[in-house]
Parts: sequence; C-alpha cells; structure tokens
Amino acid sequence: MNHFNRRDTLALGVGALAATTLGTGASAAIPTANVEAPKLDIEKGASLRVLRPTKFVDPDETIFNANTQSFAKATGVQVKVDYSAWEDLRPQTAVTANTGAGPDVVLGWTDDPHLYSDKLVELTDIAEYLGKKYGGWYPLAERYGKKFGTNNWIAIPFGGSGGPSVYRISWVKEAGFDKFPTNLDDFLKLCRKLKEIGHPAGYTFGHATGDGNAFCHWLVWAHGGYMIDENQKVMINSKQTIEALKYGKALFESFIPGTQSWLDPSNNKALIAGEIAATQNGVSLYYSIKNSSDPKIAAMAPDLDHARMPVGPVGHGTETALAINSMVFKHTKYPNAAKAYLAYMMELEQYDKWLTGTYGYWAQPLKAYEQSDVWKSDPKIAAYKDTMKDSLWYAFKGPINEASAAVVADYVMVDMAASVATGAATPEEAAAEAERRAKRYYKTG
Amino acid sequence: MTDAALATPEPAAPERLGVISWESGPRKLVTVYLPLACFVIVLLFPFYWMAITTFKPNNELYNYKDFNPLFVHSPTLANVKKLFFDTDYPQWLWTTMLIAIAATALSIFASVLAAYAIQRLRFRGANWVGLAIYLAYLVPPSILFIPLAAMVVKLGLFDSPFALILTYPTFLVPFCTWLLIGYFKSIPYELEECALIDGASRLQILRKITLPLAVPGLISAGIFAFTLSWNEFIYALAFIQSSEKKTLPVAVLTQLVQGDDYQWGALMAGALFGSIPVALFYSFFVDYYVSSLTGAVKE
Repeated sequence: MNHFNRRDTLALGVGALAATTLGTGASAAIPTANVEAPKLDIEKGASLRVLRPTKFVDPDETIFNANTQSFAKATGVQVKVDYSAWEDLRPQTAVTANTGAGPDVVLGWTDDPHLYSDKLVELTDIAEYLGKKYGGWYPLAERYGKKFGTNNWIAIPFGGSGGPSVYRISWVKEAGFDKFPTNLDDFLKLCRKLKEIGHPAGYTFGHATGDGNAFCHWLVWAHGGYMIDENQKVMINSKQTIEALKYGKALFESFIPGTQSWLDPSNNKALIAGEIAATQNGVSLYYSIKNSSDPKIAAMAPDLDHARMPVGPVGHGTETALAINSMVFKHTKYPNAAKAYLAYMMELEQYDKWLTGTYGYWAQPLKAYEQSDVWKSDPKIAAYKDTMKDSLWYAFKGPINEASAAVVADYVMVDMAASVATGAATPEEAAAEAERRAKRYYKTG
Repeated sequence: MTDAALATPEPAAPERLGVISWESGPRKLVTVYLPLACFVIVLLFPFYWMAITTFKPNNELYNYKDFNPLFVHSPTLANVKKLFFDTDYPQWLWTTMLIAIAATALSIFASVLAAYAIQRLRFRGANWVGLAIYLAYLVPPSILFIPLAAMVVKLGLFDSPFALILTYPTFLVPFCTWLLIGYFKSIPYELEECALIDGASRLQILRKITLPLAVPGLISAGIFAFTLSWNEFIYALAFIQSSEKKTLPVAVLTQLVQGDDYQWGALMAGALFGSIPVALFYSFFVDYYVSSLTGAVKE
C-alpha cells in the first residue's frame, strides 16, 4: 500500500538523514530545531508532475532527480519532473494556470505565484514548519513566498541567484585597486581606469531579462530611486532617479562599447573572450569557466573573483535576486502529496546536496543553510551566500503583482537608464517617460 | 521618305561606341550576376554561419582577435557528438517529423476540399467564405494559444502529439486553401465540363481530373505546410510539457540553453541538422514548387 502518513514520512526522512550524515558528514554543521512536521496524509495512489527550469549545470538536474527518486522511494508517490527552458517557463506556467491542466507543482520564477495566487494551494503549514526547523526564512524569501499584505504562504522559494560583480583580479590591480570598490565613487574611478588600461568593464544596459534588469535596478536603487511605493504610487520620477541616471551615463562612457545592445549571454561571452575586466552575473559564469573543457578558458578561473555591487547613498546593498519559487496548483488531485514533496525537497538531507552540487547558484532561502559546506568550499563564491538575505525584489517597495511584472517585462527601468546613457534623452526626460509608462501598467496615469 | 527606303529597311545599327548592349558581359554582370550574388550571400550566410559554428571549438567561438570568425581553424565534431549523444535529439527529430507530416496531410486534405468548393462549386458567398478563411490566417498564434489551450485540455489532448496535429491546421488550412484556390483557378474549367458531360460526379472529377493536374500546387502547399509545422514554436511550447514529447525548436532550447549559458556550437548543430529535412523536401520538389507559383496549367 502506498498510503503514507506524516509519521511514516517523517521516519523515512530521519532514516535518509542518518544515511546521508553517516555517508558524508557534510551536513553536520547545519543547525536544525526539533520541530514536528505538519500532518500530511498523502493521498492513496498519488502521483505528481513537476515542471521546473532547465539545469544551469549538470548536477542541478542529476541531484534534483535523485532527490525526487528518493521521495518516490520513501513515500511511494511517483513523481515525473519535466524541464523547461528559462524563457519558456513563464508561458508554460501561464497555460497551466489558465487551463487548470498540466503539472501539479511548478517551480516557477519569482513573480509567478503572485500572478496566480487565487489558483494556488496555500502552503503556510509547510512554510512555517520549514522556517521553524531551519532558523527562519530570509526577508526576501518571505516577500516572495507570502501573499502580499498577509501571512499566508502561496509559494516555497527554493533559492535565489544573485548578481554580484565578477572581475579579473589582475586587471583590477593593474588599475590601482587592491580590492573591488564598495562605494559608487570608487567604482566609477575603477571603471574609468580599466578603460584607460585597455580592459574596460561591461555591465548590461540592454534588454537582458536577468543582467539588464539586475544592473539598471541596482543603479537606480543605489541612489535611492524606486519605481513604486507601498501604496502602488509610481515614484520613479524623482531627484534620486535623476542622480542615478547621471551616474549611469558616466559609467556607460567607461564601459566597452555596445552594452546597450547586450542580451543575457553577451557579458558571458565578453568576459570569456577576455574583452572585459568586470561584469555582473550569477555564479554560473565562474562555474562554466572553472569547469571548462577548454584549458585556455579554464586557465582564466584563478584570475577571477566576485564582489558585491557597490553600495550607494541609501547605505545598503541594492542587488536583486532571481528566485525559483515553487507553487502547487489547485487543480492537483494530490495536494498533500505535493506539499509533502516540496517539504521533503527542502529538508537538510536533500537540500544541502542540491545546494552544494549547484555551487550555491540558487542560494538558500532558509537561514540555517548559510552554514552549508558549499560556502566554505571556495572563498570566491562567498559573495553569493547572502543573496536572499539582503537583496531587493523588482517591485521594491510595492507589492508583486501583474503591474510590477509587466513593468519589468517591458524593461521600463532598463530603457530609462539606457536612453540617458546613450544620449537619446536627458535624465529628466527619461524619468518622465518611465513614469508615464509605469503609470499605464499601474493604471494611475 | 523614298520607296526604296520603305522596301529595304536599314540593317540593325551597329553598337554605338561606349554603349553596352543587354547581352554584353559587363551589363549582365551588373544587372544579373551582381544582384544574384547579393541574394545568394544574404540567403545563404545564416546557413554558412550555422555550419562553421557547428564545427568550431569554444575558444574559436569567443576569440575574434586571434581567429577570423568567418573560417574554422581547428574543426571539431565535439558539438555534433554532444547534440546526438548527450541529448535526445534523434527522438526530437522523430517526434517533429511525425507531427509535421500528420498535420500537413490533414491540412492538405481539408484545404483541397475547401479550395475546390470555393473555386468550382461557385455557391453564393463563396468569395466571402474564401476571404473569411484568409482572415483566420491573420490572427497571430500568440493571441490564440490560450483559448486553444483551453480547448485542447477539454478534449483531453494536453501533452499529447495530437494537440499539435489538430491545432497546426488552424494556421495551415487557411494558407493552403488560398494557395490551392489560386492553383485550381489556373486549371481549365472546360476539362471538368467535359467530364460532367461524360457523367462524372464532382468527387470523381476532383479525384481523376483536377487533383492529378494540381499536383504541383499540392506539393507546393505541402512544402509550405510541412515547413511551418516543422518550425512552429508557441503551440509546441504551450501544449506539450513532457520532455520526451517536445518538438525540435522547443527541445533544443530546453537542453542547450542553460540559464544564460548558450551552448552555441551544439545549438547551431541542432539548427543545421534540423534544417536538413526541410532542405531535402525543397530540393526534391523544387520544379513542382516553381511551377505552382508560376501557374503551370494554362487555358
């Protein structure tokens, strides 16, 4: 009989934990509290279909599949995992949400659960259990997981990919800096100096879903500008934004030519080709260089390091994080099995293996995992450890909803910064245009 | 003017000094070969780029300073090997082929009946029906995929190849119908009248007279339909979620674009080998294809 209740599942989980710990000892340092798991009576004959973004490195898929198989073995619930290209995941989630068919569980992108919140199973019980057991959720994880303005969890964030700077150590030193700058003035000086020595920096001003949005939002937020306030009033046309745009123009002039047309792969290609000394990216770029089968590319890895993006007048970090945010659709016949699956995947013996195997690409949303060995394995990736701890969400300071998603998808912030950087508009004109475009989405104009 | 002048026309004036005739080499070069060369370069360059990227190692792909990007310096089969042995590419090819052939056959069948009825039966409002079918072609798939998805789910076809086989005709039938209306128009009606006098039914006329004469048009419509099905993306993305059932354009992206890491060599290999079946189709039937576009049967 494949009907497992909470005690069975918990017992199996403990068994698996013991096996893992005995096998590697890797997870011993991660503190956990003794918390009783919520009672989830897994439906008889349950089976699940899961949709998630495709791997960024091979261990992402192999470990995720192994963890899933382990769940199936422990509970008898058969789980089929399908993978979707990153750009394709959002339309597939939309079809699932609008037709009530398809996967039971989707590991979607940051905003998606908030767009379909009325079609989702509430996950408060497992979220609270995981939070209590693993030292609590980071603020950004709570923002992504809870329905805005409530304490009801509609999603379980699996992790976030941050966007620190990745840079060539030797060229930064050649430019006269022992360390990567931590403030805006020094950052501009570094970029100008890098250009002088023939190894310019390159940060994306183009329509790149990840890199363009991450850089331009960092730029505006660092100066105190933001798109929307808590009451959904469009606030982008401010003197802080104007200052940010002037600074952005100065930066752009020091970059390698052409960053206004860059897409997500462009900065990867430029760094690998040795054309730029610094850019902003997830840990994947370092990982792909370090593990390249081409010895010439792999030889670049020792000269690479990462640093958090410089802090502006606001006094705190203003990076953002692309999160994998899991949700269970109401059309599932097996909501308890789906919840048990998500909880199981976030448990120590599964999650730490995945976190470590993916080199911390999807940095943890639960505080206890900051003790994971992955963060001790290579000091160069330490900049990614606090991704979910102190990053901001794209709709900062407002709620995540259809309007905020549309503003990001329409590159309102990116276009504003790029138009000033390239001289197509003055900072005042660009901020006014961004305000007009944002108001159309928020229907306040 | 004298009679003699009228009776004996002047011989053709010899080419004036400095004027180039239409048949001269330089004029042909400028008016024919040069534009043709431009077309050939523009049309074939993407294929050339796909081919050289397929056989380039990664360090050549990224290093334009030391390697001329237009040539392969150290050819490798690593990208081809990765495509065929590290992904499910053969499975994707097979699935895509089956779906494209089935959707094409279904669409041609429906289009022949529709085009023949509109062109030959001449019922009241036939022209309007033809126009309405054409207008259906103008509705973009990006608008249609959500309502179509709802229908696909209700019919129980979600995540099945039939979801694509039955939805592709929504854009193939209008296109093929219009193409065939034009071709049927070029077939002399008198041939059918003779058959009618001899006692043939409409279906017999269609089967034994019209369709054999319309083979170039059918092949042309078939090539277009096959190509459109082969390349289709958004329905394949929306209606199919199982990795093993995906079609080529969607599956290649799923397995060869990992985050912002584009595996250009293998991607280009996928594109190159994915375009070969379509290119073969065109090359086998190019004469029919040209004749259908120019109207082969004249009254």
